[in-house]
Order: sequence, then C-alpha cells, then structure tokens
Amino acid sequence: MSRPPSRPPGRSLLVQAKDLVTKCDRCGTCLPVCPLFRVLDLERASARGRNTIARGLAEGCLAPDRQARAAVEFCLLCRACTDTCPNHVPTDEAMMRVRQFFADEAGGPSSRYRLIGGLLRSRRLLRLGASALGLTRRLRLGTWVPGRLLPREFPRDQYLAASAGPAVLAGSIPAPGVLPTPGCRVAYFQGCGMRLLFPDASRSTLNLLNRYSRVAVKGNGCCGLPHLAHGMGDTFLELARSHIELYADADIVVTDCASCGGALKHLASHFEADLRWQGPAAAFSAKVMDLTEYLVRMGYRGQGKRDITFTYHDPCHLARGQGIRSQPRQLLESVGHFVDMKEPDTCCGGAGTFHLDHPGAASQILACKRDNIECTGAGIVVTACPGCLIQLTRAAEASGGKFKAMHISQVI
Amino acid sequence: MAPAAEILQSLRRCVGNEHVLDSDLDRFGYSYDSSFVPLVPPHRPDLVVRPRTAEQVSAVMAIAHRHGIPVTPRGAATGRTGGSVPLRGGIALALDRMNSILELDEANLTVTAEPGVRTSDLYDHCAARGLFYPPDPASWKFCTLGGNVAENAGGMRTVKYGVTRNYVMGLQVVLADGTVLETGGKAIKNVTGYDLTSLFTGSEGTLGIITRVLLRLIAMPKARTVARILFASLDDGCATVQRLLQEGVVPSIAEIMDHLCLEAVARHRKLDLPQAARACVLIEVDGEDAAALAAQTARIRAVAAGCGSLEFKEARDQAEVDDLWAVRRSLSQALIGLAPDRLGEDISVPRGAFPEVVRRIEAISQRHGLLIPIFGHAGDGNLHPGVLCDLAAPGEAERVERVVSEIFDAALALGGTLTGEHGVGITKRPYLARALGETGVAALRAVKGALDPKGLLNPGKMW
Repeated sequence: MSRPPSRPPGRSLLVQAKDLVTKCDRCGTCLPVCPLFRVLDLERASARGRNTIARGLAEGCLAPDRQARAAVEFCLLCRACTDTCPNHVPTDEAMMRVRQFFADEAGGPSSRYRLIGGLLRSRRLLRLGASALGLTRRLRLGTWVPGRLLPREFPRDQYLAASAGPAVLAGSIPAPGVLPTPGCRVAYFQGCGMRLLFPDASRSTLNLLNRYSRVAVKGNGCCGLPHLAHGMGDTFLELARSHIELYADADIVVTDCASCGGALKHLASHFEADLRWQGPAAAFSAKVMDLTEYLVRMGYRGQGKRDITFTYHDPCHLARGQGIRSQPRQLLESVGHFVDMKEPDTCCGGAGTFHLDHPGAASQILACKRDNIECTGAGIVVTACPGCLIQLTRAAEASGGKFKAMHISQVI
Repeated sequence: MAPAAEILQSLRRCVGNEHVLDSDLDRFGYSYDSSFVPLVPPHRPDLVVRPRTAEQVSAVMAIAHRHGIPVTPRGAATGRTGGSVPLRGGIALALDRMNSILELDEANLTVTAEPGVRTSDLYDHCAARGLFYPPDPASWKFCTLGGNVAENAGGMRTVKYGVTRNYVMGLQVVLADGTVLETGGKAIKNVTGYDLTSLFTGSEGTLGIITRVLLRLIAMPKARTVARILFASLDDGCATVQRLLQEGVVPSIAEIMDHLCLEAVARHRKLDLPQAARACVLIEVDGEDAAALAAQTARIRAVAAGCGSLEFKEARDQAEVDDLWAVRRSLSQALIGLAPDRLGEDISVPRGAFPEVVRRIEAISQRHGLLIPIFGHAGDGNLHPGVLCDLAAPGEAERVERVVSEIFDAALALGGTLTGEHGVGITKRPYLARALGETGVAALRAVKGALDPKGLLNPGKMW
C-alpha cells in the first residue's frame, strides 16, 4: 500500500483556514441563523466570530490558546451560515482545518476524541461494540449506559402495530416500480451510528434495499467524519482509502446516514493533491447515494397511506450537505399525512459528539426543535441521520409521548 | 486614576460578572465591524460591557466619565464605515442584550423599543397588527435599531417613505456623564426647544448612547407588485423615475443598475436579456388593492415607453415577484466573482444629477483602469459605486484611495454628499471638511464639545 500523503504542517492549516474565510466581510448575515449564536449571544459563538478567529489566528493577532481552541470546537458544522452567506463562506471547513491545527499542536486530539476516534477506526472494535450494545438492549440495560449514550429506539414493528389501520398490513408488499438495471451491483454503507445505536432502522433499510436487488453488506468501518471533524485527518484519509477499495466492485453505494453520505460524497476534495487516489476517490464519491435519493430514483411506492401525521427534520448533512430536501418529503407524503415544521433544516444540536461535549447548548437548541415539532401536531418526527435521531429521540421522550422519533426507513 | 482592578470591579457590579468580557479572544471579537477598516492590527477594546437596562448604561457611563475611559457603542456591528470599531480602546458597549419591544401603541401609531431589537423583528411585530415600519436598510434582518438611528439608516423604500429619521419621534439617550435625557414624544406637533431627537439621529454614537427609541408607524399597504424595466441607457432609466415622481406616481422602490451590474447578474443567473439593454430599473408599487396597482403600473409602463424602454416585465404572481427581486438581491453575489475585493461606496446626489454623476464615475473608472459597477436607489439619488480591485496587489490600495477620493469630489461638485446612509465613521473621516467646509466641521465640533467635553464617546469617528 502506498504511503498516505503527508498533510501540510500546522502553520499552513491556519493559512488554509484563512483562505477559506477570506471572503467573509463580516456583514452579519449569518448572525440570526447560527443555532449556537441563538443560545449564546457572544461574538465568539457566532459564525462571523469563528471565521474572524480563524483569520486572527492565521494573521498572528490571536494566540492559539485554550480559549481559541474552545471557540472553534463550539461549532455544529451545520453550514446554516454558509447557506445564507452572500459569499458562501465555508465556516465548517475552516473550523475543521483549525481543529486539525490545534490537534497537531497538542500532539493529537483531546483524549475523548482519541477514544471515540480509536473505537470507530477499528472494524473489529465496531463489530464487538455492535454485539455488546445489542446484548445490552436485549437485556434492557440501556438506561445503565452512562451519559444517556444509548437512545431508546422506537422499532418498526411497534410502529406498525400502533399504526395498523384496516388496510395497512393486508396483502403483500407491492413490487417496485422500476427495477435496477440487470447486473447493477448495489451495496449498503452501514454507518457506525446506524449499526451501534439504531439496528432496527438499519434492518429496515436493508429490507427496503433488498426489494430492488440483492444488496451487498460489506462490514465497512466508520465513514471518517468524526475524525475529520476533530483533528484526526490522517485517520480520515486512511478510512477513506479503505472505503474506496472495499466498494470498488459496487456500482451504487447506498447509505441511510446523512453524515456518512455527506462525508463520502465529498471524499474527492480531500485527495486533490494525491495523484494515486484522486481518480478512485472521485469515482467512489459518484457512486454514493442517500437512501431517500435512491428510493425516489427507483420510483418507490408506499404501501398505501396510514392515518398518521409525519413531520420531517432535515439533517444538516443531507439538506445543505447533499441538497436532498424534496425526496424524504415525497416519500413521507406517499405513506401518510405530512406537515412541515418551522425551520425544519435548523440543526437539532446533535452534530456528532457536540451534544456530549456541550450538553447545555445542545439541549437548548433541541428545546426549540421540540417546540417546532409539537406545533405541527405530528405523531412522528422522521429524519434520515442517526446523529439527529439520537437528539430527536430525546426530544420525543421530553415531549411526554406527544410524538415519536423514527428513521425514515422504519416508516415507509 | 483608580487602579484598573477597581474599575473592573465596579463595572462588574453594574452589569453582572458574565457581562463584562476581558479575555483576549472576546476583546478581539468586539474589535471589528463590517467595514474595510483593516482587521489587523485589531482595535481591541480594553473591556466589553453588555448592559441590559438604561440604568446600567447610565451607571457604566458615570464610571467611564469619572475615569476618562473611551466608550464605543455597538449593536450588531454590521456598519460599513467603522462606526462601532473601538478605535481608542476603552469600553466596547454592546447593546445587543437590550432587545425588548416595549410597547406597540396602535391608537397613536407608535412603537417603543430598545436599541438591540433587530429591524426585521420590529417590522414583523408591527406587521402582525397591520402596521408598517418602512425603513429597510439592506442589513435589516441582522442589524439593530440603535445602529439604525445612530447612523440614520436608509434603504430601498426611501423614495416613498423616507429614511429612519422620518420615523424617530423620541429617544432616551444616556449622555457622556451618565445622565439620562428624554427627547421628543408621541405628540406629533412639538416645537418645544431644539429638535434634539434629530440631533441624536445620525450622531454615530458620538453624542450619547441611545437606550430607547420611539418610532412612528403607518398603515401597512395592502398590496404590492414589482416590474422590471430595461433601457438602452442609464439616462433613460433615470428620466423615467423623475417623470413618474413629477406626475405623482410614487413608487415604493425604484432601484437602478448599470450595464456592468446587469451583465454580471445575467451571467450569474443565466438570464437572457436583450443585447441593447444597458440599464435596468426595478420598480415596486404598493396600494390599496389590485386595481390600484394596475392603474399605477399602466402609467409606469406608459412613462417608461415614452422614455424609450426596451422591455417592461410585470410580475403576475408571488413567484414572479421573487424572481424579479432576485435580480437585485443576487447582485452582490454576482459581482463577487469579478474581483478579489469590492469597495462599496455610498454617495448621494440630487436626483437630477444621477446620470451625470454616473458619467463622471465612468470617466474615473477609465482613467484609473478599475471597473466600477454602479447600482443605487434611483428614486432618491443615493448610489453605490463598487470599486473592483485586488487590495493585495502592490500599489492597488493607493490607486483605490485616489479613485474613491475622485468619486467623492464628483458627488460634491454636483451638489451631493459623501454618504447617503452608511455614515462617516472612520472611512469617510478624511473627506469631511471637503463636504461640510471648515465652518461646518467647527459647528459639529461645538456641538460635540458641549455634549461630550471629555471626548469619550466613540472617539476617532467623524473627524
């Protein structure tokens, strides 16, 4: 195997970050849309503030101290700012560069990220983790897991039982409208979140996919986004190369995790200076599809409408990261009543490990989201990312039964 | 002077510990605004103080006055001329926590609010009751009222509805020594004493800290529509707007853009526009109902045709309204690709001089070899020439400075002025005497000296 390309040394990461934010003229358009600035109204907690911190660090007028590091860690990477910015300044990309800079300076990421990154890096540990958590679930020990790390998943069979109307479960599942081209090889990219935390949803995804063709499950490792986001860029690249090789024989790679999809679709940009890998990376990225994108492309038809009202939370990495907004709504409209909530694409506060690192801010953001969900009167909030589903499951619990939170694969 | 620690203590007692920020990082965060004042080296304040009430502002000012500490008020720091940059250090007085709308008085058609309320939030609050607060600076979704009043912000609706000043009926202002002044009131006719409300409106934070604003409202127009008119020349577009105003057809918005802007937008939005189009006017009319709108647009169409319009496109539904507006809204973005930097200026001329000042700016552009796309508010004579440049290139900054200086000269020679809505701040300071004359500047100084004899409020601004 060829040597991984060495990442540019520390100083130049700051210069890269500065180049990314150079078009920020501090106009303030991003101020009202940053979910964190809404809960902490200090300049350093705003997207404009973070961009300017990146510039200040690069230009040497800010010391790269603990406080500066905390400020760049305090970002959801949700891209709400980028979306509204007249110049589309990519705050998230700049923050990832600065985080990498800090991790390199300190000789690695903080121990918490190192631990999480290490677990997710190893396919063997992932497999062990999945079985351990499965056992925990079967023994109903979920509440013993510290930090409420293990969300209580609302499974599809309970949903079906609860929502069973006269015509719902009668008859067999209709054949798909469009069949994949003969010989088209479809593979499932099972993200860590789906595998470890939402196995029922993951099974539902597989069932859906198997309606169209025999789907390959490859036992992939982590997509690498947590590593990229927290200063473990080398591990990210290493994982990326493993995915490219693992899925070399697939024509379509479907994932039901918005974060994985977003990361995998953008792999190529990380290999721009790497002649050996840039071609394969671009080819791999082009094969990746979100589940909803795939189903709509395949002409998915629901099994008739249930008398249930859905609302939908847009994962940041799906709506802004991949431009997928209409497909999930279209699918939900085909199986029930659909009502959009206010600000459906505002981050739920999950954001990878953000909700663990900053539980206060995350729960304030979530409280807002919960209000918006409750205002719709929907019985189920649906999303397409396990990261969001962790948060939304919490919101559902806090709502005292007003609504449930489910992955889209479980309700269609 | 009392030791710094003691001052810090007393400020913390005033506003609460967590609302006095003194770390390097936080002071850096309050060192900039949205202007071209260089970020480096940063103009860090010594402290950021974030009061919640007028009483707290008063107490902070009393401390600052006693110890001779400069104070620079700040809202959302969205200004374009450096108004909220704490040039001399001291205290950055962030008023963004004072964000309550205090009263909507429907009988008297007024609204009372704190300075940290976002302009669009106030608009929405009033609109929900059928009332209209017209000033709409481009930044209205994120800027705040205190800054709007302190800079006398304008916007696109000026041609029909005027600027912020036309809506300020009264203010509460904390003076340099901490005393609290109330000006104006809800009485419409009010000539008791000097018009201090007007004095503080547009004072750029140099005379006092605005802690409450009383604003006039009008009834919300019931219907609006938009038309886009293309012309072969900017003169034809300007002539149309002038003729309309003479005839009593007052559009609520009349925006014009020159051929450089038009080309950039056409490229950016993949619009197919007639080859001959060299100027575009976007006109919004409002009124009682669809019939009132139709009557106005018919007259606009006729007047435009009389002035040689090439194309008249009227929106037939909301989607088309959004579509036509997108041309104007996407302008900044469309211009971004053309050069690394764009220095947006803000001159204002008598409406009749609009075509001439544009001709003179075009000549300046040719002389210096820098592109200067121009758009502006044709209805009120305020225009935004944007000098496209690369400030990193050697010698470019000096060249741009000469261009800007010549643009100011052109505006002044035609009876215009340096700034229509952005304010003087830091960036236009060197040109103030040219615009106002020595006597004019001396009069401003006399006012400043009377209200802020120690020169503590927003020092380094305006002159």
